[in-house]
Amino acid sequence: MNIESPLLASPLLGEVLRPEMTILIGIVLLIVVPNLGNATIRIPMTKFRIPVFLGGRRFTMTSDPLIPGVISMFVLLLSMAASLMTFVDGHELVNVCISASGAIQQGCLGSDYILRSDPYSRLFTTIFFFALLLGTAAMINRMPAFVDAKAPHPDDTGATRIHAIRRLLNNRRQGDFHLLILFVALGMSIVALSTHLFLLFIGLELASLAIYVLVAFMKEDETSGEAATKYFLTGSVASAITLYGMSLLYIWSGSASNYATASLSLVGPNGLAATWQAMDSVDPLAAIGFGMVLVGFGFKISAVPFHFAAPDAYSGTSAPMALILATASKAMGFAALVRVLVVMAMPEYGTEATWLLLAGILSVITMTWGNLAALSTENPKRMLAYSSVAHAGYLLAALAALGSGMAGAATSRLLITAVAFHLLVLAFFKSGAFLVLTLTEMKGDDANKMESLYGLGRRDPIMAAAMFVFMLALAGVPPLSGFLSKFLVIDGIVTASTASGSLSAGGAIEWLSSVHWVFWLAVAMAVNSALSLFYYLRIGQVMFFETPRSIRPLPEAPMIRIAVILCLFLTVLAGLGPFSQTLVDMATMAAQELLRV
Amino acid sequence: MNSLEILTLTPLAAGLMLLFLHEIVPNQAKEKATDLIRYANLGIAIILFLLATQIGFETDWLDTWAAGNFGGQNAYILENTPVSLISSIGVTWHIGIDALSYPMVWLTTLLIPLSMLVQWDAEKGAQFHSLILIMEGALLGVFVVLDLFMFYAFWELTLVPMFFLILVWGGSDRRYAAMKFFIYTFSASILMLIGILIVYFHSAPAGGFTGTLTGHHFDMVSLMQQSTLIESAGLRMVVFLLLLVGFATKMPSVPVHTWLPDAHVQAPTAGSMLLAGVMLKMGAYGFLRIAVSFFPQETITMIPLLVFLGMASLFYGAWVCLGQTNLKRMVAYSSVSHMGLIFLGIATMQPLGIAGALFMMFAHGLISPLLFAVCGSFKHHYHTLEIGSMRGLAHHSPFMAGHMMLGWMASLGLPLLAGFVAEVAIMIAFWMTFGWWVLIPALTLILTAAYYLWSMQRTIFESSDPHRGILPDTMHGEEPRDITWHENVGMFILGGLAILFGILPAIFFDMMSNWSSGLVSEVLIDALTQLEVTP
Repeated sequence: MNIESPLLASPLLGEVLRPEMTILIGIVLLIVVPNLGNATIRIPMTKFRIPVFLGGRRFTMTSDPLIPGVISMFVLLLSMAASLMTFVDGHELVNVCISASGAIQQGCLGSDYILRSDPYSRLFTTIFFFALLLGTAAMINRMPAFVDAKAPHPDDTGATRIHAIRRLLNNRRQGDFHLLILFVALGMSIVALSTHLFLLFIGLELASLAIYVLVAFMKEDETSGEAATKYFLTGSVASAITLYGMSLLYIWSGSASNYATASLSLVGPNGLAATWQAMDSVDPLAAIGFGMVLVGFGFKISAVPFHFAAPDAYSGTSAPMALILATASKAMGFAALVRVLVVMAMPEYGTEATWLLLAGILSVITMTWGNLAALSTENPKRMLAYSSVAHAGYLLAALAALGSGMAGAATSRLLITAVAFHLLVLAFFKSGAFLVLTLTEMKGDDANKMESLYGLGRRDPIMAAAMFVFMLALAGVPPLSGFLSKFLVIDGIVTASTASGSLSAGGAIEWLSSVHWVFWLAVAMAVNSALSLFYYLRIGQVMFFETPRSIRPLPEAPMIRIAVILCLFLTVLAGLGPFSQTLVDMATMAAQELLRV
Repeated sequence: MNSLEILTLTPLAAGLMLLFLHEIVPNQAKEKATDLIRYANLGIAIILFLLATQIGFETDWLDTWAAGNFGGQNAYILENTPVSLISSIGVTWHIGIDALSYPMVWLTTLLIPLSMLVQWDAEKGAQFHSLILIMEGALLGVFVVLDLFMFYAFWELTLVPMFFLILVWGGSDRRYAAMKFFIYTFSASILMLIGILIVYFHSAPAGGFTGTLTGHHFDMVSLMQQSTLIESAGLRMVVFLLLLVGFATKMPSVPVHTWLPDAHVQAPTAGSMLLAGVMLKMGAYGFLRIAVSFFPQETITMIPLLVFLGMASLFYGAWVCLGQTNLKRMVAYSSVSHMGLIFLGIATMQPLGIAGALFMMFAHGLISPLLFAVCGSFKHHYHTLEIGSMRGLAHHSPFMAGHMMLGWMASLGLPLLAGFVAEVAIMIAFWMTFGWWVLIPALTLILTAAYYLWSMQRTIFESSDPHRGILPDTMHGEEPRDITWHENVGMFILGGLAILFGILPAIFFDMMSNWSSGLVSEVLIDALTQLEVTP
């Protein structure tokens, strides 16, 4: 390792990591700007005081409680735009790798890199920033800042007093919230970028720790503390297992005599991928380590059996945070899982992967469990949590098809495209659904009860219609984007599994017995999709056909409404027409880059 | 944009816009807006009808597929250049009509304004008529698209307005009927979707579809031209049966018909008219367009099943009709019975029989809305649907009695009325193919005559008082009135057309027989030879 070279060895580094740099600047700004004040420091033994601008009496303009929200939204927007630049035609730094010394390799020709900024990672950072942006926008209305908030009058009692205190509290915690959101963004982008397991773990923990705090953030809600505790305990156990798995992989990657070759890097001559490919039969040490690493990712994507904390966390925390858990955090888990599986343990064409059976079984159990649990719950947030579990199952089915070894180059690309595209559009309609729930929970209605949605069609027709569209998209009704992503997954599985089946077999039974068993995952997906229609349509039914429990209109909340309408348009447009093609092309680019490693 | 695209897209766009418009006008202007929106809906529907008629006059129907490529390129009128909708999976916006779909398109555009007219004074009229206009868009979409995916999308889309029409404007048991209707037909179309998807996975990249991500496409025209669509004979049969279940449920055929009587009895009059007039025809249309055209060999193998289904529907429907006490339920079961004839016509595999089946679709599309309009106005003015509770209708509502008589006669197949032409064509073809078996369907038609005449006798006549009828209890002493002007206009038009097409069936029958002989000579005969080569 070349220690002399400074971190910013290459002037291009700032350009390649522009989204991350933007977030770093945002973090600094968030710390500095609200604290700007007229503090001065006296030069010793003189009377001269020079202003240092930090501390003292804060300036009115910069200590405005609205400032942190503005900064964080602006930063996330810029980072998203910078991430999207990768997909612009003619962009030069499409595929860039960064080595530990900070050296830049365009085209990733070398092998000793730890961060990789390619369409795959940039697609995922776009998803993260977009979802976080929506969560932030929702939180700006959910936890509004009041410039004119005053301390409660000493004579005030009861509700007035609590109200005034809450307004003050909201002002106080603006900075904390947005700072944490930016840390989540930074951690997530490290996960998406890293090709080194330890770095990936650091990113994972940076994001996770911030998320644990954020889940508990609305501490005036009784449930959020409980939710955060559960989520934290399960999550940290999962992280610990992951870390232990990594240490096992590290031991395995070196030999007993030569620890110099031990490495946690996925790529390179001594990397895990090369060591994995070189092994004749599965080494138990490697298998155990690898399996343990996957536990952490399984927790993030809330796959059965690591999903138990998810419904509690989603329903306990505020809806904007549930949005982030269901879209950004899940996408982060899949970004890491797909990267590790494809780069490290992708089977040769024609041989089955060691993890195939596991992925297949988990996929079926996950989607079925998720749907059955969602069917039986009367809590919209919990229902969405379980639907999120079910969706994880669908995506695992795609990964199982990848592991079957039956997928040729084109089919593998299709499968990864499907996964990436699904996670991308999930950020549209799943976010939309949680945004509408944010509206219902703001005025004290309990969003954990189905009653809060009763008669929403009469209270707010536009929001109810949007919610209905999101539900249809989640169910995968054509021609919405949810259908297209699910269809691509099924298409990939069917194409992969029937590749060997002799299509000219005489009878249908013969044909069915000639296909690879992964085919039945597609069938399970189709059956599960039909099953899921019931609970998604139930939301529509209660919104339009039940009498509302309260006739109060939904809160104004302009940011949330704009975000809902945006999500609505994206949900529809991503399923049909040229925009959907653009998104699918982006996902295809990502898949192609990932497979090129 | 050609006129067909305008025809298909206008009702969807206009209906949605008018529906939305009603929601956003302020409360004080709502009443005025409701009237305006109703007139706007009716006006658009009439203009679309004129447009559809004009398309029909412009076209030389007998020449459409003279080039000898049935179902292939240039076989369609007003075919547009396919526009890619979801290019990654090969979905295109590709429309066109031929002699199979044009009568259905014309019928749809005709029935929409008529059903609006018959229920002109419906409650919440703005939403009601806008929903009907949306329904028109969905129905036209089913009949014009040449892309399997869009076909399925429009097919499901028709459920939505109909579901709401039943649920909001239906009778006392509407909730149950709406749910049953939705779940029943939706589950069946899921099976159909599986069939469509299997076809999709066997589509070879062709023409403009080489660049799709999945390498497959949904385009019907290219699929028709693909030499062997699915190699495995067993899988072909599975797909055919899946499609058959989907289409037979919509038609509906015994034994998957049970949703129909409930839906009809609870649906509002306009909903019933559209349901019986056009929605049931979607089943027969899809069966011919997809199942028969793509899988002719399987159709030929499955002729016994088709004959059995047709006979069962024909006989069972008529038999159940005899025992009905509810007027609307009786008419609903008579639809089941008549739809059985369509299967029989297709099963003959004769150009005449298939043309007869096509004409049956059309004639039933004129007559059954008339029947349901009569039932609707009967319910509206006498507050009951029980046969026999009202006797001597002719005394109080001479117009209604007249329309009833014409409709009943047309439906039981009186010569010189539209239904007769179809029945005769099917019977002749059936005799040509199956010989004396024709006696079973022919004799079943006696049952049809029996239940119609019997119900008519008990409703229109048979009053014990020579000067007035016996009013049902539900009238509560109210003086009965004859039907309103708008109901009258709608029924006169339908009745008049039933007579017109009974006397001059050639208007549509020629193009239909042209299409059917194309189907037989270019698809079915080939399939038959192949079947003989490889038994």
